[in-house]
Amino acid sequence: MKSTRETIQGTAVVYRRELAAYFDATIAYVYASAFLGLSCAIYMNSFFLNAKLEMTSFFDSLPFLFIPFVPAITMRLWAEERAQRTFELLLTLPLQPVQIVAGKYLAAMTLFAIVLAGTFPIPTMLLWLGRPDMGLIIAGYVGSLLLGGQFLAFGLFVSGLTRDQIVAFVLAALIGALFVLSGQDKVVEVLDGLVPDWAVGTFLYQSLSVMPHFEAFTDGVVGLGHVAYFGSMIVFFVFMNLVTLRKVGGEFGD
Amino acid sequence: MRSIELESVSKYFRDFCAVDDVSFGVDREEIVGFVGPNGAGKSTCLKMLATYLTPTRGKVAVEGLDSVESSLGVRRRIGYLSGDTPLYAQMRVDRLVRFVAEARGLEGGDLRTGIERVVEVCGIEPVMTKRVSACSTGFRQRVGLATALVHDPAVLILDEPTHGFDPIQVLAFRETLEGLKAGRAILFSSHIIQEVSALSDRIVIINEGRILADGPPGELAKEAGRETTEMDEVFAHFVRSQPSESRV
Repeated sequence: MKSTRETIQGTAVVYRRELAAYFDATIAYVYASAFLGLSCAIYMNSFFLNAKLEMTSFFDSLPFLFIPFVPAITMRLWAEERAQRTFELLLTLPLQPVQIVAGKYLAAMTLFAIVLAGTFPIPTMLLWLGRPDMGLIIAGYVGSLLLGGQFLAFGLFVSGLTRDQIVAFVLAALIGALFVLSGQDKVVEVLDGLVPDWAVGTFLYQSLSVMPHFEAFTDGVVGLGHVAYFGSMIVFFVFMNLVTLRKVGGEFGD
Repeated sequence: MRSIELESVSKYFRDFCAVDDVSFGVDREEIVGFVGPNGAGKSTCLKMLATYLTPTRGKVAVEGLDSVESSLGVRRRIGYLSGDTPLYAQMRVDRLVRFVAEARGLEGGDLRTGIERVVEVCGIEPVMTKRVSACSTGFRQRVGLATALVHDPAVLILDEPTHGFDPIQVLAFRETLEGLKAGRAILFSSHIIQEVSALSDRIVIINEGRILADGPPGELAKEAGRETTEMDEVFAHFVRSQPSESRV
């Protein structure tokens, strides 16, 4: 029991520092303003064109918006520690790697959730205008949180591989693009057409892409399989961050 | 049991041997100066003691705990100030000291008294509400020292603690360190031999990853055939008498 309490306390200490660091460095404000401005603009354009009390166009745009915006949250998490050499301070504190990684991940997730919550005026407006399908909207938000959680997890992992924030950003954005674009019909068709016998596009769509899982949420299906997909991806990338943390940073990085 | 103990420790970075078969120790209530030219292997030894690096061979122990097998236990017992004091530049000093104290498990009354004590000992009250990046080099070093001392560690490991200090600050630091000696083992590195000889009960000289001498300043001076006022020449004597060999 004492050990569990200590683990939670250590994680909370790192979590508080990381969350404060976002707001200390003004990155949170810039990030939130840009994301909210763009996502709401895209939605309102569609809303006035279609005049429907739904958020489909908003949720459809999110995977593409996450490609540049989520790596902007994660790029500094490890790269900055290594560039400023605070990595050494952090790794010589009596904290277990899992506490540090969990604290960082949860702080990034909190910032992401706060920014996503900044779009709540949209469903509020829809409720004021009429009776939208709230089940569909809530499922869409749950899917968005899980999708963002996956982006944050691989962004955290990539940030741990380099001391350059720009490299961390670009790599995470490329991985994000792979996860999203491999779920686009035209990309699947093109890839399948390259080597028809292998059906690479279909294989990537079924095994790798986030889109079938995320689209299930935006269609109102909160299935266990889809939750398990996001959960396993998050656990995998966070675990990979733990594996690489000590090796890359302590022995060779600094 | 010695507070700090290195037994036949070697550290390789790929093929490069940074530390070669090093053995020495530090007892409680002892200040040991660890001196050597730049690149001699001082920081590598201290990073192994701080558990940031693991030895390739040999054993590193703090208060009887192995630095590899009980790294968390070692970290709880040491206060470590790294070479160029990497601190979170954007954090306010008070929040940084609190963060380190909490990460070291202090809470409640212990947290409050621990912070109050290091603020007084290190004289950082004037910068407590400033960001670290806004502090002068001297204050930044003191803030680093405060983070190393906040949990009242039994073992203090300081890598180039007076780096960037002016002569007045060096004198103030000497007084601070002497005040911290009671109940502690202190190992500090420097490449400034006068500073080390003025402060240390014992001096360990390292060059090219190997220990060249270990003893009180007076004994080392005697061994080198010099006076204790000529510690620069004592140091040069030991370094020059080392057979030149490649560390690769």
